[in-house]
Amino acid sequence: MTENTSVSPSILEIRGLQKSFSSLSVLKDISLSVDRGNVMSIIGPSGSGKSTLLRCASFLETADGGDILYDGQYAVHDGVYAPKASLNHFRTRFGLVFQNFNLFPHYSVMKNISEAPVLHGQNKEEVRERAVQLLKKMGLEGKENSYPCQLSGGQQQRVAIARALAMQPEILYFDEPTSALDPELTGEVLKVIRQLADENMTMVIVTHEMAFARAVSEWVIFMDGGVIVEEGEPEQFFGDPSQERTRQFLRNYQQ
Amino acid sequence: MSLMTMIVKMSEGLGKTCAIFFLTLLFSLPLGMIVALLRMSKNRVVSSVTRFFISVLRGTPLMLQLLAVTYGPYYLFGANVARNKLIPVVIAFAINYAAYFAEIYRGGIESIPIGQYEAAEVLGYSKVQTFMRIILPQVVKRIMPSITNEVVTLVKDTSMAFTVSYQEMFTIGKQIANSQTSFMPFVVAGVFYYVFNDVVDYVMGRIEKRLDYYR
Repeated sequence: MTENTSVSPSILEIRGLQKSFSSLSVLKDISLSVDRGNVMSIIGPSGSGKSTLLRCASFLETADGGDILYDGQYAVHDGVYAPKASLNHFRTRFGLVFQNFNLFPHYSVMKNISEAPVLHGQNKEEVRERAVQLLKKMGLEGKENSYPCQLSGGQQQRVAIARALAMQPEILYFDEPTSALDPELTGEVLKVIRQLADENMTMVIVTHEMAFARAVSEWVIFMDGGVIVEEGEPEQFFGDPSQERTRQFLRNYQQ
Repeated sequence: MSLMTMIVKMSEGLGKTCAIFFLTLLFSLPLGMIVALLRMSKNRVVSSVTRFFISVLRGTPLMLQLLAVTYGPYYLFGANVARNKLIPVVIAFAINYAAYFAEIYRGGIESIPIGQYEAAEVLGYSKVQTFMRIILPQVVKRIMPSITNEVVTLVKDTSMAFTVSYQEMFTIGKQIANSQTSFMPFVVAGVFYYVFNDVVDYVMGRIEKRLDYYR
């Protein structure tokens, strides 16, 4: 693995990102950057493009135009993707936690977490040890040999977080991590994310949990109709939003 | 001819019945996967040609396919009919069953949620690793009941080899029935197939049970 020597404060930088599904323009000229150790929350109504944005950043969707840079290096330059080998290398820099967990049901918790790093050539014993530590951190001590179907939704999502962390990413993406959970289970997942924030893990979180976004983020982005309507520090953003559209959206959540 | 003599004579054909059965599975199970992957190819020509072949194999009688594979070379090229009929019989069976297995595989593969592929992709699994480690094991579990159905049908279908006079158990039984003007050989054959399928049911049930550890 080559060490990146260039000093760039932003782990992720996106410039002028565009994405359409046939004739529907989902992302129109989105730009943002995430600094090391910071947490960014992205909020907005359904269909505003916030999930698509995360999926573009993690290469699950192909952007039509714009730039995506990791650590100052182009993964996508003017809508042109880097060669496959270097995209694979960029992939090791981020992790993604899905709304529906997407654990591998036929694998034990341990294998879910440890297989990918081992396939990447990491030492099996070290990976297993790391997995045990991660499970402990997630409050899932002793669940190594359980299967996903034996776990609650909240536990499954915490395994998914451990699985993403086992790859030792520099930045972690969350795509509505609590939207598929019963309200009483969201707390345990938000707690571990908050714990990661306290440890200065760099994260981008697409969420509908406003109080959580306010508490955990350094920067909040509000998207609607494929554009960033407003962004700012959480106190200013939630306390005194400047755009009428933002105020309207936040009012709906306070009821 | 006593019943015992019938049973002994027909048993002599059981080896050939088993040969058709096991060789057909040996070739058709992997061949079906290749056909399924071709059928799902993004290349339009490849997928429609494959779809056409599947439709012919599923849309015409296996008996006809047996005759075509066994005697077709003679009528088309004047080639000698294979002395060992097992070869054309297994070719016909394997191709026919591959077509059915291919559609079962395809259904199974398409039933796996896209999120499984996406999770694997983000974690850096290659395409081959994703298929072999993440997708295929889940497909196998999902399609086991349909595969069992086909395997049970195959046991009974082996009797169709009588159309090309391959000396398996049913062909012998039919010959005895003709020479002795007796229905008993058919009863014996029925019992043989029933017991054979009981074993198949048991084995497949064990495999399904072993895959029962997750949902």
